[in-house]
Amino acid sequence: MEYPDNGAYMVAAYVVAAVVIVVYAASLFHRIRKAAKQ
Amino acid sequence: MGGVITAVALVAFAGIYVRALMFTPIERFQGPAQKIFYVHAPVAWAALLAFLVTGILSLLYLIMRDRKLDTIAAASAEVGVAFAVVMLTTGPLWGKPVWGTWWSWDARLTSTLFIFLLFVGYQVLRGALHDPEIRARFSAVMGVMALVLVPFIHVTVYWFRTLHPEPVLMKPERPSLPGVMLVTLLSSVAVCTLLYVGFLLMRYSLAVLRDIREEEMVDGIS
Repeated sequence: MEYPDNGAYMVAAYVVAAVVIVVYAASLFHRIRKAAKQ
Repeated sequence: MGGVITAVALVAFAGIYVRALMFTPIERFQGPAQKIFYVHAPVAWAALLAFLVTGILSLLYLIMRDRKLDTIAAASAEVGVAFAVVMLTTGPLWGKPVWGTWWSWDARLTSTLFIFLLFVGYQVLRGALHDPEIRARFSAVMGVMALVLVPFIHVTVYWFRTLHPEPVLMKPERPSLPGVMLVTLLSSVAVCTLLYVGFLLMRYSLAVLRDIREEEMVDGIS
């Protein structure tokens, strides 16, 4: 079956979503560890 | 507790990627770009849920003046901004190949951008005010706006002309998706909700730790 050739948009969206979610989670872990140490 | 929930949710989020990319069929007319839907819609749900929680807790704070309500409202607002960043980047990445444009200044997209900017402003406001009482009161007044904006964003696709599709789940009729796609979508919604809970608990713990430190500093000075 023929599909529109737009897989690059899908890859970009999945990468952006993963980066933002993982970076935010890492920032929370980091800030909590820093606040607990002080 | 929040850290464990977040870690579990992140692993489950990776599982959603595998399911969506490898085990969910490609939609015939939109092609692979349609799969952005399995990230975009659940993340939008989590963002609007976060802002709605902030709105409800802000209203309760204005009535009860309980500091804890303000702390949870602020935590939820920050998490909502993080989800909204994903929502506002994946949306145009889906829109370009399907609509032929990155962005349209219609009611749905504009009001979504507006609520994002409102809660970015909310974070800036909280950072600028040092008196805890004034900070809580001013930000609660701002946070209450979500109680109007979130329901408005939901109905914009019915009230105004828009490129944005109507909801496939949150509507009176049955979900308009084939079974396998629906399972992927529902799983992703559940994982994003779990991720929201994990992030919220972590951000709340951080606020509590910072409050304890602030009180110790004040005690040290006096």
